[in-house]
Amino acid sequence: MDSASPGGRTPKPQKPPGSPRFWGDAIPPDPAGNPLSDLGAQLGLVARGDTAAFDAVYEQIASSVFGVVKRVIRDPAQSEEVTQDVLLDIWQDASKFDAERGSAVAWVMTLAHRRAVDRVRSVQKEAERERRVATADIPYDEVAEAVESSLERERVWRCLASLTELQRESVTLAYYGGYTYGQVAGLLGVPTGTIKTRMRDALIRLRDCLGVAS
Amino acid sequence: MKRPQLEREPHTLAGAYAMDAISAEDRARFERHLARCAECAQEITSLREATARLATATAQTPPPGLKERVMAAAATTRQRFPVTADVPARSARVKDARIRTRAWFGSLAWRGRLVVAAGAVATVAVLGAAVVAGISNGTMRQQLSQAQASSQQVAAVLTARDATMMMRTVGGGGTVTIVMSHTMHALVFTAAGLHALPASRAYELWLIGSAGDRPVGMFPQASNHMVGPVIASGLRSGDRLALTVEPAGGTSRPTSPMMLDLVL
Repeated sequence: MDSASPGGRTPKPQKPPGSPRFWGDAIPPDPAGNPLSDLGAQLGLVARGDTAAFDAVYEQIASSVFGVVKRVIRDPAQSEEVTQDVLLDIWQDASKFDAERGSAVAWVMTLAHRRAVDRVRSVQKEAERERRVATADIPYDEVAEAVESSLERERVWRCLASLTELQRESVTLAYYGGYTYGQVAGLLGVPTGTIKTRMRDALIRLRDCLGVAS
Repeated sequence: MKRPQLEREPHTLAGAYAMDAISAEDRARFERHLARCAECAQEITSLREATARLATATAQTPPPGLKERVMAAAATTRQRFPVTADVPARSARVKDARIRTRAWFGSLAWRGRLVVAAGAVATVAVLGAAVVAGISNGTMRQQLSQAQASSQQVAAVLTARDATMMMRTVGGGGTVTIVMSHTMHALVFTAAGLHALPASRAYELWLIGSAGDRPVGMFPQASNHMVGPVIASGLRSGDRLALTVEPAGGTSRPTSPMMLDLVL
């Protein structure tokens, strides 16, 4: 099924049938060959309408987009719908990616997470979300399940585990649960000012623990 | 008056903001604050690298069929213009003509910048007229000199309500940028960084569609600098724009492989 070239990530320029290119048709590949910096380069091609690059971008990020969207939304059908919207957003708005304002992965995941949260909140206005009380423990457990064999996931899990309990709960409820800081404060019975501070402290610690400071 | 809390301690919302754990109103206010606080913006950037890892740690295989649906949807969905708030900064940064072209046209979406863009284009249109002076095809020469006599026409296409921008790289090097308006039946064409040609050859631009292959103009010799803007009028819906290399004297039909074949 996978029609990507061996080795995978080199974006192939489009070549419509019947319109051979002149002077050879290779666009020089990203010399770095690094998947993540490569993602940024491919977004640059996507911004110019390159569907082959979009295919490569899909291969790299679709599972993460679907994963985080589903973590927040839960409902599989809605998650799929929102994932599709996010991926189409990436196609339409690739020109908005600016490497000076963070990595391509962060740009994509910010888009995905915000879309998921927006969906949850708009649905929430119509009906209260289920299992509200029980939710406090769920996200972290699920992160633990997700560890699987991936070293990268294990690292995230270990860094989450290194936070204080209040920090960790704030992050998991906010990020995976899609709650606002005010809702998190209510769920945990802690003043909002404290929660805001804990959220920021927690992300700073996570960032340092993961070594992703930019 | 609406934002005493944020003015007092804006930084404390950085974590909540980076996790979208914030109401729409707070989000908008915090973003206004970010626009004025480079340090805060930098912190958000770094925190989002962390939240991105929280996201990728949840990766799971998407449902079968999703990719086909996404690719099919992309194939029939227009891409949006770049926006907007960072255009001035970006314009100041760019050095080469190619990127400058993109910055101009990128500013299209921001109507407030259009006067600037149109003015700049008008200036270049005069240079463009000189570049195209060597044109050989009679009809087209007439059409082009007409077009360039009125740089206002260029500005009119750029500012048309339905103005649409497309950019493509050209095989062998170079970038073309067009802005088209179907209501005005016209497009503005620019190119940068095209491969230099021997004196006996020239680039020729075509509109191809149900009305036949129509030559739009020739560019005798492309240096690495920008070519155009050139107006192509008589645009019809369903047309494609093509670029070929032809004998310097010009031809009435494309005779060489298309380096660019753009559905308009």
